[in-house]
Amino acid sequence: MKNYDLITPEGTRDLLFGECAVRRNIENKLLGLFRSYGYSETITPGLEFYDVFNLNSSYFPQENMYKLTDNKGRLLVMRPDSTMPIARIVATRLKDAELPLRLCYNQTVYRTEPSLKGRSDEITQTGIELVGSALRNADLEVVSAAAASLGSFGLKYSLELGHIGIFKKLVGQLDVSAHEKESIRRLIETKNFPALNDKLDSIGNTPVTAALKKLPGLFGGEEVFDKAQQLMAAEGIGEALEELREIYREASEICGGNGEITVDLGLVNKTDYYTGLIIKGYLQGHGDEVVSGGRYDRLISEFGYDVPAVGFAVNVNGIENAMQKNGSASESASADAVVYAAPGYRVAAFRAAEKLRAEGLTVENALSEDLDSVREYAKEKKIAKVIVIDGEEE
Amino acid sequence: MSKPIRIALTKGRLEKDTVGLLEKLGFDCTAVREKGRKLILPVPDGNLEVVLAKANDVITYVEHGVCDMGVVGKDTIMEMSGKFFELVDLGFGRCRFALAAKKGTDFYNGFGIKTIATKYPNVTRKFFEKKGMDTEIIKIEGSVELAPLLGLADGIVDIVETGTTLKENGLEVIEDVAPISARLIANTVSLKLRHAEIDKLITLIEENL
Repeated sequence: MKNYDLITPEGTRDLLFGECAVRRNIENKLLGLFRSYGYSETITPGLEFYDVFNLNSSYFPQENMYKLTDNKGRLLVMRPDSTMPIARIVATRLKDAELPLRLCYNQTVYRTEPSLKGRSDEITQTGIELVGSALRNADLEVVSAAAASLGSFGLKYSLELGHIGIFKKLVGQLDVSAHEKESIRRLIETKNFPALNDKLDSIGNTPVTAALKKLPGLFGGEEVFDKAQQLMAAEGIGEALEELREIYREASEICGGNGEITVDLGLVNKTDYYTGLIIKGYLQGHGDEVVSGGRYDRLISEFGYDVPAVGFAVNVNGIENAMQKNGSASESASADAVVYAAPGYRVAAFRAAEKLRAEGLTVENALSEDLDSVREYAKEKKIAKVIVIDGEEE
Repeated sequence: MSKPIRIALTKGRLEKDTVGLLEKLGFDCTAVREKGRKLILPVPDGNLEVVLAKANDVITYVEHGVCDMGVVGKDTIMEMSGKFFELVDLGFGRCRFALAAKKGTDFYNGFGIKTIATKYPNVTRKFFEKKGMDTEIIKIEGSVELAPLLGLADGIVDIVETGTTLKENGLEVIEDVAPISARLIANTVSLKLRHAEIDKLITLIEENL
């Protein structure tokens, strides 16, 4: 009864040749970039205890995690994210380490996606976490690293900033249940203007509901801040707004001010998790965000160590997709040469090939006894040179 | 000229209403009106490209970003959900989801678990979850009205426009579940990367509703 021995599970795929080259290229670029900012790599287990992802401020619905049990019957999950495991490490092994900590990672995460939707259950994420600084400088460092990440692929991109404090402050002034607040949040997140207006009208007509109505529409460039100030000056959000404006301005200047940095005051995802800045990045050609992150000052304290942190993750699969759509994904490179051994010179040929490899060339050993078919093979595989070894080297 | 903005329309009545709206905005939709069997049609002076698809597929194409925007009924959005911006209530294609049962039955009476037949299992599940009611849901593909008549289900959750079909089959509305109308949706990335163009179009649409 072997029905599934020739296929991979839905949501997973094998990568071959050029696909691998593209992925590794992206990963290396990002890791190289993060290293140049002084981040050190961490590798966490693919399997974690379920409890690591079941905290108050986490946002991992249990139905979206791959679960299994260990040999003692305890519940494990396939890591759905890398930030929680890193928070766990920081709160345990790195508790006494000098702050700030600059940590980066490049690993796959697993989430169950609805079937037949063309989404991957296995995604490679490359990202950074800057732990132990609540300074504006830390936010700015993470924003500029995110912009540099997006900018390293030669595609049109946009890096968007938001601040969860604005929404929290406004919704905190409403006298409604947590359930109602969540439904308002969802309507803002999906920019569902008609339903949001109906909902807020039913609550009342106050400066706060008026401001909340405007929130999802306040996205774009610098002008957003002026509009926001006019619309909701008095609602106690001035501080968050000013903080965001400063980061926006400085980040835009650092990135050359070409309009790649934008703001969206309606970014209100994962509100229990983020505590300040929120960042999202988009690349032309991929229909979903490829960068996602922000400041999460309370997460690590849930593991018993109260320390602020800010970071982001890049969805490597998303970048692959965008590069492919834009025709900038490369074919896998062919070898530079194939070395053919005339009868009796096998060892000499292997030696000659080793020598060329040491010089930095990619060299194949011919796997045919017949020189003509080797030449044929080289032509087929676009290998420029066939080297025939028919004598000992001098 | 930049790449046209692709807008997916739900084939059928919503398509006609949307084309009517686009023409009201002053766009030349001749190609769409005389489409033949083509599925992707240009609206040249609006730098738009109309894609004709089934309702569920409109959401799928917009979610993946292969279409920037879409016009789809709230019924499909409620059943499918997904990640996109739901920007404008276009006001046409109005109807409602309703719970209906055989005329004269007291639907909420009794302790037994009710069986509901529907084409919209997710909408139905959410509706009864809110009431804290455990129900058995059976998915039906065609005329749902048959299920209570044949004795398979106690009630149905379905789209009701005028109520004529219900009446002719001896059913009546017990309770409204949710109002429905056509919505303009947008891909989350397109709205950001092509903000100016999309914003212009939306303003134009809102002025002409």
